Amino acid sequence: MKILIVEDETGLRDSIEAYFTGSDSICETANDFTSALAKVSIYRYDCIILDLTLPHGNGLNIVKHLKENNHNDGVLIISAKDSLDDRLTGLDLGADDYLTKPFHLSELKSRVTAIVRRRSFNGSNNLKFNEIEIDLDAKAVKVKDAVVKFTRKEYSLLLYFIANKGKVVSKSAIAEHLWGDSIDIADNFDFIYSHIKNIRKKLIEAGGNDYIQAAYGMGYKFTDA
Amino acid sequence: MKLFDKYNRVNIAVTVIIMLVTGIIYYYTISHILTNQIDKDLVLEENEIFSYVNKNQRLPDVYESNHQQIVFAPLRNKSAERRFLDTTYHDSDEKDLEAGRALISSVKISGQNYRILVTQSKVETEDLIQIIFLITIGVIVSLLVILIVLNRVILKSIWKPFYKVLFQLKEFSLAGHTTINSNPSNIDEFTELDQAVISMADRVKSDYQNLKAFTENASHELMTPISVINSKLDTLVQTDEFTDRQSKLLNDIYGTVTRLTRLNKSMLLLAKIENGLIKDNQAVDIKDVLEECLYQHEEMIHQLNIKLVTDLRDKHLQANKPLVEILLNNLLSNAIRHNHQDGELSVYLDSEKLTISNTGKGHFDFQQVLKRFHKSDGSEGIGLGLTLCKQICDNYGFKFDYVQHGKMHAFNITF
Repeated sequence: MKILIVEDETGLRDSIEAYFTGSDSICETANDFTSALAKVSIYRYDCIILDLTLPHGNGLNIVKHLKENNHNDGVLIISAKDSLDDRLTGLDLGADDYLTKPFHLSELKSRVTAIVRRRSFNGSNNLKFNEIEIDLDAKAVKVKDAVVKFTRKEYSLLLYFIANKGKVVSKSAIAEHLWGDSIDIADNFDFIYSHIKNIRKKLIEAGGNDYIQAAYGMGYKFTDA
Repeated sequence: MKLFDKYNRVNIAVTVIIMLVTGIIYYYTISHILTNQIDKDLVLEENEIFSYVNKNQRLPDVYESNHQQIVFAPLRNKSAERRFLDTTYHDSDEKDLEAGRALISSVKISGQNYRILVTQSKVETEDLIQIIFLITIGVIVSLLVILIVLNRVILKSIWKPFYKVLFQLKEFSLAGHTTINSNPSNIDEFTELDQAVISMADRVKSDYQNLKAFTENASHELMTPISVINSKLDTLVQTDEFTDRQSKLLNDIYGTVTRLTRLNKSMLLLAKIENGLIKDNQAVDIKDVLEECLYQHEEMIHQLNIKLVTDLRDKHLQANKPLVEILLNNLLSNAIRHNHQDGELSVYLDSEKLTISNTGKGHFDFQQVLKRFHKSDGSEGIGLGLTLCKQICDNYGFKFDYVQHGKMHAFNITF
């Protein structure tokens, strides 16, 4: 997928670019409003990761520009302003999702993947990963054509892993993804392990491979290998 | 003591003392003048006696006259010293004693000394003094009454601007939206007070606003570096193999960054609620949100083997949904975190109130835990949870309170 990262903070922009580049994505970057606007005027992207507070202009105007020109690029707003400020303004204007800074790169990846998946909707809203097939509308998982029942959190975690395949996903990121940021994350570290144990068990029992590896006690990695 | 009472007390005391002193002086002066008058009468009588004796060489006959008596008494060789004195007067008619004034003198008739005692009743003088005294008392009393009434009326009307300013000061609240209005007065001091109070209130308010804006901006600005740290960490863990020691360190850093984020978000949220920046009200199904929160906490509840009792009726509110989620999440999270193995948690919701009660150890001071950054012993939170709950409840006008029955701690929100 082709992604544009519009972010003026160099450190963050580089990290996002590094995280996305590689697997199956091509990344371009813009560090201010003018260059971002120039890029979106010429090129089309599967998803634009857009910071709102930019030098020379407000990121929301880029969303406006896209809509006015009927460009159908996916937009994910990342902003230090949280849900209580301009989430709705952004979403009203036609952004697909909103992520509040600070976020984990794995969360960003999972959100972007979801947007791109929704955009490239081609008849069936199914996600296939080797022998695992996920019906995103029905939230049903099949392994080798057999239905495997996952709980809500296990399902969500599986999708999260698939979106971040090949990457080490930290426990903090998993906890935040599953329980949200209003719950003290440290409380939940122990439960991550049992959720992951369950996912592995269910996949293996259905005849699938064990894709989830523990990564040096820091997190987990979902690998194809 | 009220200003009026204080003022009156001094004023009246001084007035009474002055009046009393004046009265005493007055009494003595009048009494002196009247006594002089009587003395003159007595001297006149004496002179008459002398002239009679000179003419007739014998004592005059004594007539009992009105309020005057003359008595002669023979003296031996010595002569009586001439002097005035206060004495009593026997009224022959009324047979009672009256105050009197007497003159003792002597006269020599054919070698024989006689003492003359002329006595005159002072009863009329006394009457006169009494009347004067009564009038004076009357004047004092009526003067006092007039003074009190006048003082009250004048003070009340003069001090009106002061009380208005005072009332406004009492009503003044930094966080509130009340402003102090000008109270024009034609008294310079009050106009000055009024202006000083208004400018002070403005200054304090603007300082407070600046402080709040600063907190908000500072928390806000911190988010960017935190997100850079966060993303760099996420990138770092992708790079290579790590030893146990390194991964432990990385985990600690992750944990700390997460704490920092939570802390910062809470502060930002508090600042926003205080600044009244939370709008975006929508219909929120409390029951729905509660069920979702309970679902989020299910692992913890299972692990502690907490007995969960819920009785949830429908309740809809106009509120900001994320805010309600934070409120309920915080309360439930506390109720679970401060619970013990095999404890109890009950959640009761109806259209009027929400009660979350849990078993827990010890007790705490509710007012204390509402304070920012207050942490109970062994709490791993950031110490803003209940502060936030209170602020959110205040924001929507909910009543937030706490009761303890034995081992059960119950938090109530009355909508």
